[in-house]
Amino acid sequence: MSYQIEKALHREYEAGFVSNVASDTFPPGLDEDVIRRISKMKNEPEWMLNWRLKAFRIWQKMEEPEWAHLNYPKINYQDISYYSAPKSMADKPKSLDEVDPELLATYEKLGIPLHEQEMLAGVAVDAVFDSVSVVTTFREKLEEAGVIFCPISEAVHKYPELVKKYLGRVVPQHDNFFAALNCAVFTDGSFVYIPKGVRCPMELSTYFRINEQNTGQFERTLIVADEGSYVSYLEGCTAPQRDENQLHAAVVELVALDDAEIKYSTVQNWYPGDENGKGGIYNFVTKRGVCHNNAKISWTQVETGSAITWKYPSCILKGDNSIGEFYSVALTRGAQQADTGTKMVHIGKNTKSTIISKGISAGRSNNSYRGLVQMHGSADDARNFTQCDSLLIGDKCGAHTFPYVESSNPSAIVEHEATTSKVSDDQMFLCQQRGMDPEKAVSMIVNGFCKEVFKELPMEFAVEAGKLLEISLEGSVG
Amino acid sequence: MSQWFESAIVRAEQVNDWLSPVRAEALQTLKRASWPTRKTEAWKYLSLRRLEKSEFAQQQESAQITPEIIEGLDSLDLTFVDGQLVDLPADLPAGLSIVSLQNATDSVKQWAGEIIGDIKPERHLFGLINDTLAQHGVIIDVAEGVSVERPIRISYMSSEGSEAHTRVLVRVASNASVTVIEQAQNKHNSLHTSVAEYAIHEQAELTHYGLMMGGGAAMHVAGMHFRLAQQATLNSHLVGFGSELNRLDVDVQHRGEQADANINAVYLLRDAEVFDLHSTIEHEVPHCTTDENVRGIVADRSKAVFNGRIHIHRDAQKTLAELNNKNLLLSREAQINTKPELEIYADDVKCAHGATVAEIDKKALYYLQSRGISREQALVMLNFGFINALVDEMPHSALAEWLRPILRNRFASMDVQ
Repeated sequence: MSYQIEKALHREYEAGFVSNVASDTFPPGLDEDVIRRISKMKNEPEWMLNWRLKAFRIWQKMEEPEWAHLNYPKINYQDISYYSAPKSMADKPKSLDEVDPELLATYEKLGIPLHEQEMLAGVAVDAVFDSVSVVTTFREKLEEAGVIFCPISEAVHKYPELVKKYLGRVVPQHDNFFAALNCAVFTDGSFVYIPKGVRCPMELSTYFRINEQNTGQFERTLIVADEGSYVSYLEGCTAPQRDENQLHAAVVELVALDDAEIKYSTVQNWYPGDENGKGGIYNFVTKRGVCHNNAKISWTQVETGSAITWKYPSCILKGDNSIGEFYSVALTRGAQQADTGTKMVHIGKNTKSTIISKGISAGRSNNSYRGLVQMHGSADDARNFTQCDSLLIGDKCGAHTFPYVESSNPSAIVEHEATTSKVSDDQMFLCQQRGMDPEKAVSMIVNGFCKEVFKELPMEFAVEAGKLLEISLEGSVG
Repeated sequence: MSQWFESAIVRAEQVNDWLSPVRAEALQTLKRASWPTRKTEAWKYLSLRRLEKSEFAQQQESAQITPEIIEGLDSLDLTFVDGQLVDLPADLPAGLSIVSLQNATDSVKQWAGEIIGDIKPERHLFGLINDTLAQHGVIIDVAEGVSVERPIRISYMSSEGSEAHTRVLVRVASNASVTVIEQAQNKHNSLHTSVAEYAIHEQAELTHYGLMMGGGAAMHVAGMHFRLAQQATLNSHLVGFGSELNRLDVDVQHRGEQADANINAVYLLRDAEVFDLHSTIEHEVPHCTTDENVRGIVADRSKAVFNGRIHIHRDAQKTLAELNNKNLLLSREAQINTKPELEIYADDVKCAHGATVAEIDKKALYYLQSRGISREQALVMLNFGFINALVDEMPHSALAEWLRPILRNRFASMDVQ
């Protein structure tokens, strides 16, 4: 059976095409001049440039972390181009009609139509292509509700007070190596502000696409949910199929003020490299949210892509009664490596967190869960529940669990559980005996394994995620 | 950089005996090693600050201290005082040989020289320090098919201001069985590194007790390392009381199919005691089993660290491995850091781990109090209930009986909020 599953895993990466778009791309290399040029391209105010330069100086003194269970050749940061934008975007198209049709075709091909009338009602999209945002849909409708949803480069101009107040507050410049790099060179991303008491009328979504060769993508997302508001945010990403590795180092900051709720869902499908580990995206992402009193942040992620994944969406539960959630499915196959998990830092009283992590490893891949649950002395009656399950498919892959539990409050309760299993012959036999074909059986078993996480995803994403896994396991006839 | 570490390296250069090849190799590695800091993963939660600047008397008369008597335990006693082997048991049963490191015969040197330092993984810094500095030690050999009834008890004692490095090598030949008790009783300001290596051969059985029951200002860094051949069995019972600096590294290597390891550990900390337990189980071959149960009660300002790693190698199919860590945290000033790790490279295995941290069940406390039991007594009962299952599993009832009142006293003195 395992041979059949192996065979099934040799699927094509569907988003691996390259768009033929003329681009303005910086030559590779990184120094203060490059940062000044990025800042100039974006027409940024002085304070933003200084903020970037400070981050750059911090980054230069930092060392690349080596603690993750990952194995990759050293990245030469001077070989990467830090800015690339489609030429057609230089004269800032006012409406969709002015946008380069080739760009629109790209999103069409990816299944992300940008014409509002064609879209599923209820989802607004910010489409980021290499270093710039191409279009943000449904803006008027959102403005009616008072919701700000725009590229972060635009927010710097339009809402400098908000940006100044929150940028870098959750993930500061010195936070870690990749975050510092992002602070210095970030090019675009989304900015979201939900005013007090507003329930965002539609799902917000950002779609990231890397197209240009030898570039890195460094986007930055900042979501602020003011008191009593609610927003659900979706993120998706793809890249062309290339032989060399490309770097993606993003930062996502979430601020949930008193009584607010943010639901952040990701389907990550960067190009994973080929069977032998040639090519693929190196994905080093810092995602973190702060919860004030009674606030809630929920991270849901489906990680299927990238050659290397280094990602720990975290919650700082600062306010009393705040809630943090982390639901994750990570699928690695071929030569993929993932080291992903979460941090739940309980500071406020009566804070609660739930961690459900499902790791599936196949091929020669390695899949690690790395998490931290920290109960501070002030976190009276805090509660955490963690469940990490791994599923191994084939005997050449690896599944690992590295959970850190630190508690210094006696009234806090922490529970951690982890199990490892495989798609057992018994399960397969049972399904087949009842007339199910083996392919379907595997798919069903894997889907069942991930169900707890999938049910947390918004509907369209759940469908996409289910499909992604299905494609991965297609043809596993045994 | 640590002054103590630098002086240790200087001293290590001067040691010369039949183990010199082992020592030289360890010294090479040591010279390249860096002193652990907070950023060193294996020492993340345990500070070595106090040791860094410490100085100890190197040569001194061994003090007149004798190990505690355990009633009803008819043991063969070996005693280390300040690192010197002061007491070796006479009239040994047939098939059991016990010799000091210094008096090893050529034939002992031949087999022991091959495995000494080999069972202990190279990554342990204090293991390497022990490799270079331990001049006193004991080699225990149980011949094929021999069952040694009387337990062998090794006591570690230290006097004020002393530094000691002791070494134990135990070979349990095939089909043999033996019980070894390692008992640390250091209380004074002192440093002790102890390394014990156990080679358990085919179908042999080792019952092991690691009683880290010193305390106070005594700094003790211990390593207990086990290598299991085919169908070998290990039953290890560990007790940690902590001290200002107390660290235990336990390593189990499954090298033969159908080997079985059971480890029960309890740590009970009060005042400002610190106890750091690291265990690594290496499943290198198929069909082996591991069951590890670790329970801790942490009170006052004390700190417990547990790092339990299970590593299933590529070929170790059909492994069954379970690790469980449960903690009671009794005070706001106390701290628990636990990290159960799984590293799995084989698909047809059953592995699970769990960890919990909580306080004493308030409902249970209320229940007992409502039945006329004082709060203090109720707390002792509940604490005891939490770890009693592990004490009950000790096969030597004399040891368990001796241990119970000691634990009870310890619970009674813990301050519960």
